[in-house]
Amino acid sequence: MNEKILLKEKISDVFDALKGENDIIAPVKTDWGIEFRQIENPEDIALDYLNSKVPPKAIWLPKVETLYEYEIDGKDVKIKTPPEKLGKKVIVLGIRPCDAHSIKILDTFFKQGSFEDDLFQKRKENLSFIGLGCNSPRETCFCTSVAGSPFNKQDVDVFLTDLGEKYLVETISDNGEALIQQLPWLEDSSEADIELAKEQERLAEDSIKTQVNLENTSKLLDNNFYNAVWDEISATCLGCGSCSFFCPTCHCFDVIDENDYANHRGRRIRVWDTCQSPLFTLQTSGYNPRTSQKERCRQRLEHKFCYYPENYGIVGCVGCGRCIAYCPVNNDVRDIIAKVNNIEPRTEEAGKT
Amino acid sequence: MTIQAQNDDIVNNVKDIAKRLLEEGSVDLIIGYTKGTIPLKAPPFFVKKPEDVERLTWDNLGYTNLAKYLLVKRKKKIEDKEVDLKVGIIAKGCVGRAIVQLAVEKQLKRENVMIIGFPCNGLIDTKRIEKELSGKEILNASVQNDEIIVKGKDFEKIYPFEEYTMALCKTCKNRTPLVLDVLAGENNNTTVMDDFFDVTTMEAQTPEQKWEHINGVLGDCIRCNACRQACPVCYCNLCFVDQNKPIWFDKTFDRADIFVFHLIRSLHLAGRCVSCGACYGACPVGIDLNVLNRKLEKLAKERFDFVAGTNIETLPPMMAFKMDDSQEFMVEE
Repeated sequence: MNEKILLKEKISDVFDALKGENDIIAPVKTDWGIEFRQIENPEDIALDYLNSKVPPKAIWLPKVETLYEYEIDGKDVKIKTPPEKLGKKVIVLGIRPCDAHSIKILDTFFKQGSFEDDLFQKRKENLSFIGLGCNSPRETCFCTSVAGSPFNKQDVDVFLTDLGEKYLVETISDNGEALIQQLPWLEDSSEADIELAKEQERLAEDSIKTQVNLENTSKLLDNNFYNAVWDEISATCLGCGSCSFFCPTCHCFDVIDENDYANHRGRRIRVWDTCQSPLFTLQTSGYNPRTSQKERCRQRLEHKFCYYPENYGIVGCVGCGRCIAYCPVNNDVRDIIAKVNNIEPRTEEAGKT
Repeated sequence: MTIQAQNDDIVNNVKDIAKRLLEEGSVDLIIGYTKGTIPLKAPPFFVKKPEDVERLTWDNLGYTNLAKYLLVKRKKKIEDKEVDLKVGIIAKGCVGRAIVQLAVEKQLKRENVMIIGFPCNGLIDTKRIEKELSGKEILNASVQNDEIIVKGKDFEKIYPFEEYTMALCKTCKNRTPLVLDVLAGENNNTTVMDDFFDVTTMEAQTPEQKWEHINGVLGDCIRCNACRQACPVCYCNLCFVDQNKPIWFDKTFDRADIFVFHLIRSLHLAGRCVSCGACYGACPVGIDLNVLNRKLEKLAKERFDFVAGTNIETLPPMMAFKMDDSQEFMVEE
C-alpha cells in the first residue's frame, strides 16, 4: 500500500532524515502570525495552522533577488552572475494545496515560449513540496471556485492528512517517492486511517461555503473595460498594494540598479512590485497609462480573471482569501467579482469602444 | 453610558443628519463607514442616495481616515459648467483634524466639505487582538456594553474596551472635530492638556535602547507602502522613496532601506501628523511607529505652540517663519 502513517511526535525525525542535502522550510509561529521560514530547530515547525500570513512565494520568488553583480574597471565591465545557493535543494514542509498550486500559475509567466526565467526555473527545479491537507478552511477561502480544493494533491510530491495524533502520508510524485524512501521507519496505514482521511477531505470541502461564480467573468471583464462599475469598485481603494504583496500568484517585480559609485561596482536586482502603485506604469517620458486607482484596480482583476484564462486557460487566483483578510478598506474580491458578474451583458463591439 | 449605547446614539444621529442633508441637497455625497464583509473591518462607504444612509455604521473600527478621499477632485456638471461636488464627511476628531490640515495646506477647499462631526469614542486595537489570537480565525466580533466579544470556531474571548483601545486613541484630546459644520450628538472633548505620556518612555531611553526598539518594530516591514497610502497628509505626487530619475533610495528589504523610508516619512509629518492611526490600521503586519510622530507633535507644540489640524487660520511651523521662532538648533558664533 502506498499510504503510510507518520506520528506527529516524529516530525523532528522527518526533519533530521531530510535536512542533510536539503534546506527545510516550514510554517513557524511569529509575533504576527504564521510565516514560512527555514528551519534550524524542528521544534519550531508549527503544522497546526490555518494558513500563513505572507504566502510562501518568497521561497521561489524572493522579495529581493540579485540578477547579477558588476564591476567597472576603466572601460571594462565585468558581470558576475548570482552566487547565491541556487543549487541547494529545498523542501517546503506543510504547504497548503492552494499555495502549492500557485507555483504552477507563476510558471506560465516565468516560462513563455522561448523565454525562460532562469532564476525562477532553477529554484523551482530544486523544490519539493510536502503538502498538508486543509482541514479547516477559513470563511474567506474559495479554492473550490477556482478549480482547487482543500485536499488538492496534484501540485505536491507528498501529501499529508492530519488525522489528530498522526498524519496519513501519501506519495504523489516520483520525487516524493525518493523522499519517502529516506523515511523507511514510517508505519503502515490501516483501512480505517484511509477512511478517516477521506472523511476529513469531505468535511473540509463541505465547509467551504464561499462560492465565487466565474462562469462568465472572463468574458464580462473583456467586454467591459470602460464600464462605470470600475468607478464603484475602486472608490475606496487606497492603492496600498497589500492585496498583491500577500497574493500567492502576484509576481510582478521592479528591476533596479544599485550603484556603489565609490567602489566602481554595483548590482542589478529585482524586488517585489505592485500594479497598485502609480510608479508601476510610469514611463520614462513621464506618461502614465494608468492615471488613477480605477485603472490600477481594474488591472489586477483583469489580469487574474481575464488575461490568465485567455492566455493560459487557467484562472490566476488560488482562492486563498488573503487579499480579503488584509485589505485595509475591506475591498472584498468576492464582492468585486459579483459586481462584475452583475454587469448587463453587452455585445463585444460596444464594449471595446 | 456604555460604549455600545454611545455607538447606537452616534449611528442614529449620523443617519438622521446624513439623510436630511442628502434629501435637502446640501451635499452631493456623504462618506462614512459601513459594516464589513468580515469581522473587525469597517470599510469606508460612499452614500449618494438618502435610502443608503441605513447602511452607515459606527462600531469603533473606522481606521481609514476619510479625509484621504477629499484629495480626489470630484466634479459634477450643471448646465455644461463643471462645479465641485459638495462632500459630507462623517468625521471623528482626527478626520476633522486631517480636513483642517489639508485645507491649511491648500489641498482642498474648505467650502466644498461639509464636516459632520460626531463624538468618537475610540477605535478597537484590532491588530493587538489578532496578534494575541496568533492566527486563529475570528468569525464574529462585536461591542457589547463595555466589552469586545470575539468569537471563533472553538473559542470566545472577552476584551475590556478601555484596555483594548488603540494606543493613539488613549492620548486623544480631540474626539469631536474642533472645526465642523454639523454636530451629531454632544461634544465630548476634554479640556485636559495633552501631557504626551506616551512618548515619555521612549524619551528616557538611551540611543541604543531606541535603536533596539525601532529595529524590533520595523523588522517585519514588507515595504508595501500601505502606511503612506492610508495617511491623509501623505499626498505628494511623487514620494521621495519613489524618486527614480535618479533613484534616491534603494528599494530592498535591508534594514537601512526600511529605516530610511520610515524615518524620513516621519520627519515629513512633523507638525502635520494628526495622530489618527490610519497607518497602523492599514499596515498588514501591524507596525506602530506613532511614538515618533507623537514626539514630533510634542516638539511642534513646545517650540511653535502648534497642533496640526486644530486651527484653520494658523499656518503650520514648516510653512511659516516668525522672527521669534525657537532657534536653539542654530550654532552660536
